[in-house]
Amino acid sequence: MNEYELFIGPQHPGVTGNMMYHLWVDGDTVTKAECNVGYLHRGFEKLMESRGWMQNVPLVCRICVPEPDVNEMAYSMAVEELMGWEVPERASYLRVIVLELARIAAHLMSIGSYGGSLGIYTIPQWSLGDRDYLLDIFEQITGARVYHIYIWPGGVRWDMPDDLPKLIEKTLSYIEKRLELYDDVFFKNRIFFDRAVDIGRIPRDKAIEWGVTGPNLRACGQGYDVRKLEPYAVYEEMDFEIVKYPELGKFDVLSDGGDAYTRMLVRRLEIEQSISIVRQALKKLPAGDHLVKHPNWLKWKAPAGHVYKRVESSKGEYGYFVVSDGSDKPVRIHVRGPSYTHGVNVAETILKGANMADVSQILFSLDVCPPDIER
Amino acid sequence: MKAIELLESGEEVHGRAYVKLDAGAVKDAVEKLKEGGFNHFVMLSCVDWLNSNEFELVYHMWSYEHREHVMLSVSLSRDNPSMPSLHDVFPQIGTYEREIHEMYGIDFEGNDDMRPFLLEGWHDMPPMRKDFDSQKFEEEVFDSIPEIEEDDDE
Repeated sequence: MNEYELFIGPQHPGVTGNMMYHLWVDGDTVTKAECNVGYLHRGFEKLMESRGWMQNVPLVCRICVPEPDVNEMAYSMAVEELMGWEVPERASYLRVIVLELARIAAHLMSIGSYGGSLGIYTIPQWSLGDRDYLLDIFEQITGARVYHIYIWPGGVRWDMPDDLPKLIEKTLSYIEKRLELYDDVFFKNRIFFDRAVDIGRIPRDKAIEWGVTGPNLRACGQGYDVRKLEPYAVYEEMDFEIVKYPELGKFDVLSDGGDAYTRMLVRRLEIEQSISIVRQALKKLPAGDHLVKHPNWLKWKAPAGHVYKRVESSKGEYGYFVVSDGSDKPVRIHVRGPSYTHGVNVAETILKGANMADVSQILFSLDVCPPDIER
Repeated sequence: MKAIELLESGEEVHGRAYVKLDAGAVKDAVEKLKEGGFNHFVMLSCVDWLNSNEFELVYHMWSYEHREHVMLSVSLSRDNPSMPSLHDVFPQIGTYEREIHEMYGIDFEGNDDMRPFLLEGWHDMPPMRKDFDSQKFEEEVFDSIPEIEEDDDE
């Protein structure tokens, strides 16, 4: 049989964003895959070295489009650690609310793209439409729909409007109802069983060594979540269980874990969990300040030091390594995007031997976000 | 901290174990940590310290078991920097090495996969080095868009 080379991307429904996979195909079986990134490289890290500590805040969120808030959070946590600032409790609760709403929005987007790649186009239409209701909430809290620039070092930018909890509750109960429909149309659909079970398996014993994190790791049966391992903001006060294989609630366990089916179900179940966390945070939300008293915004000088701060994004461990020499600009900021391992090494390995028709599903099920590879 | 106990050196910096090592000792340390429960390789970072003419490579590892993060720091001279590759210890290190080779110009002995990662057709100085002036580059490359020519017919 002849071997063919095939280029998937840089514009293809297989990945959200511009990124290319170079495949070698024998018949319709992939024999080798190479990830080719660079289409989105905008040199954020280099740019951050020439801007002040505060000036970087509106920049970091632009690294990841579907879920920008984790960038603001990890960056702010690193700067706060260097500066020695204590975040007011109310701000921490507001951060949790925004981060969890962002997680729901990102998971909806991921589920939508996966549904689209299976040809169930109802799902992307619904999920992107429902995500818009969450963006409405963001607009009310932060003033912006996609890039919120809300979580600042020392707290959050504004307090939320008084009547907002009502809108949040209305949206959350709407999404809960919609999830039942998603289940009927997609998660309990025969096509989903046929096309996702045992597809794109990450060997469960290799997952940690390969650097897999987030829902992809939890689908391999490893119940690790940064929100529990190294609780930030007020996650310690929240009551939630880590969703992991084989505890899939009302869904059937149809495989040995680590496959596209389990990964998508973990995301589906995490939406419910995030809804519960937002409700708890709203209930416990204390009164008080939302921001510490800052020195002059443009004249911050962070004491010298090396700081690494991690948060749990919808895709996995998101980390910021920040190095300061005591001046008004960072020496180096290195962003650890979860897709760096998922999109390059893991995808290249698990695509080997896959059927051509499954390639885009596998990539969507890894939830690869190219900008956090390229930064 | 567990990592400091295992390696018998290092200090705590902002809640993380920070261990300074020589270039030759890193591989042993990473393998030792991997066996000792630090089984998640987080990332490999590079910092350019222009004033002291050094690159600092930082190997970040995390232990799910001990819930602890360790940074292994190595200083390399900025002139002909070279470092033994660790891509056979954790597969993803190879990708980080590829990127650092491209962005800082550090050679990793033993890693043959040094294809360009993010850049294409780049012949200038590795762009993440501090002495690469990105503003000057931007002005030279993008400020020279030709003006719209007047159409004689109208």
